Amino acid sequence: MSAVEAGVRDVTSRPRRLSTRFLRSELGLVFGRRRNQVGLVVLIGPPVLISIAVKSSASRPGRGAPDFFSSITENGLFVALAALTIEMALFLPLAVAAVSGDSVAGEASTGTLRYLLTVPVDRLRLLAVKYAGIVAFAFAATLVVTAAGVLMGVVLFGGGNLTLLSGSQIGFGAGLLRVLAAALYLGCGFAALGAVGLFVSTLTEQPIGATLATVIFSAASLIADSIPQVSWVHPYLITHNWTAFGDLFRSPIAWTGIEHGLYSAAGYIVVFFLAAWARFSTKDVTS
Amino acid sequence: MTSLRRRPALRWLAPIATAIVFVGAGSLISAFTNAAQADLAPRSAAQLLVDVQNARLDGLSGTIAQSADLGIPSLPGIGGGSSDLSSLVSGSHTLRLWYDGPDHVRLALLGQFGESDVVRNGADLWTWSSTGHSATHSALPSNSAGHDSSPLQGEATMTPQAAADAALKAISPSTSVTTNGTDIVAGRAAYLLTLQPKSSNSLVGSVQIAIDGKTHVPTRVQVFAVGASKPSLSVGFTSFNPGAPSSSVFGFNPPPGTKVTQEKGEPRSLTGKKTGRSAVDNADPKVVGSGWTSVLVASAPDVVSGSGSTATLLQKLPEVSGTWGSGRLLEGTLFSVLLTQDGRIVVGAVPPSVLYAALAAG
Repeated sequence: MSAVEAGVRDVTSRPRRLSTRFLRSELGLVFGRRRNQVGLVVLIGPPVLISIAVKSSASRPGRGAPDFFSSITENGLFVALAALTIEMALFLPLAVAAVSGDSVAGEASTGTLRYLLTVPVDRLRLLAVKYAGIVAFAFAATLVVTAAGVLMGVVLFGGGNLTLLSGSQIGFGAGLLRVLAAALYLGCGFAALGAVGLFVSTLTEQPIGATLATVIFSAASLIADSIPQVSWVHPYLITHNWTAFGDLFRSPIAWTGIEHGLYSAAGYIVVFFLAAWARFSTKDVTS
Repeated sequence: MTSLRRRPALRWLAPIATAIVFVGAGSLISAFTNAAQADLAPRSAAQLLVDVQNARLDGLSGTIAQSADLGIPSLPGIGGGSSDLSSLVSGSHTLRLWYDGPDHVRLALLGQFGESDVVRNGADLWTWSSTGHSATHSALPSNSAGHDSSPLQGEATMTPQAAADAALKAISPSTSVTTNGTDIVAGRAAYLLTLQPKSSNSLVGSVQIAIDGKTHVPTRVQVFAVGASKPSLSVGFTSFNPGAPSSSVFGFNPPPGTKVTQEKGEPRSLTGKKTGRSAVDNADPKVVGSGWTSVLVASAPDVVSGSGSTATLLQKLPEVSGTWGSGRLLEGTLFSVLLTQDGRIVVGAVPPSVLYAALAAG
């Protein structure tokens, strides 16, 4: 694989000079894999399906329609928001879990991990590069969904002024900017889930097990978040603040939830990356 | 690094310590602010009441957290996360408030992906709901400006001191009023005023009011049921910024495609809409008892023996009977409601036995 070749070639580079070659090779690996490309295409499905379904049905979704759906016919940008709302629960976490669970355990199961480590690449650097690949995929997946939603929405329903949740309106450009901000915010949340996936991936040599564990972690967090009796644990759940991206569509913007979400994401990233390091730097690589 | 090589298990300290730091940072910050609470000079209950009346606020923007745990069965479609105003009776909610004098007020109830707004901008009163894209508009008579927001204006002849004394005197037969130290509300030091019913028949254990140390505006109200350590009802600021907000937050223009209802005449009061009190008011209500143990007896339309969803819910309530007849009883942590078979509704912040006594007396 290219990652192995890159690692081998890294021997010649001086240790102090940070080469981006390893990172570039990892990004090529993540985005070049057929299964990841297919995954990204699958993620495009919901926004396409939503927009065509709403366009073709004569009755517009009225009162009682799920969040953001009722506004789709007024402004195409809402297709992206509706798609993000739908995929936030399962599709996007699944995509991130698949890539992050595969990151270390996948190399271990195909036997390429030991070749990566026979060359003097610091294990911390290997983890950092692996995580950078996960983060890039998390943002790419979110942005692909958003871009598909914006594109389908604007083509089928048109753009124009965006009506905020507070009832005031902003121009199309400002609206597009807020949709982009919402996508980047959600990307941060999925990057945090990716850190959990990276840690789980260092525990096992079965990538499918790591992926499943990460999906279960995200789903269990969603379930716990919906049980009011354990409300004391809610602020610590990884998924708790994901829905706060809706606060970007108020006037003025309510930043509290966004700030909590970014703080929580940063916490998850640092803690689970360090846990992955603690595990991986002493791990016996046997396969 | 050498010690890490020799004892690899030490590496696990890094993620554990970071996790503790991240979780603890929030409480650490509040601990630092709590250290500032000694700044407030002690004040008596009467002084605090004077302070509250003298409080003049130029403007305010803030976030309010509201939570209700009234011990009533949760109704479908009502509760946390909803942006419907009627959902405030249970669960917890976040509201945002902007205030720039009584003529410019905006209150927004934040739902997960929705929002309900009540905006008063001069003579215009707007309500907006993002769920149905609907708005109502009513024009307020300009001479009524300010009347509804300061209920104490009729007593303007009294000095605040006299008014505070009168208020304390009026409630002292039934209530003990004490100051209860200080607390931190919305990151600001605040005095605590505690009202405690003297009657042992009341379900209300105590009412705690936090009064901001600098602006003397009440910033939190908590109602505790008897014997409860957690408030059954709590409304308080989580962020509080004195100072006039930007005038743009009060501007409201219904977006295109909005269903706008024009309301004629007197605007319906929000509280009336929420509690449905206007319906009860029309039906010859009678108050039995006084103070904290007063019980409201009113005739009510027969809602129990219907077949709608409300009736189905009510039929699940336990059936009770006595010398006064029989009916359905709803027992909350702070209040009891009795719907009798002969079409009366009895409400009070008292245990059911007092409701029965009130019925027997009436």
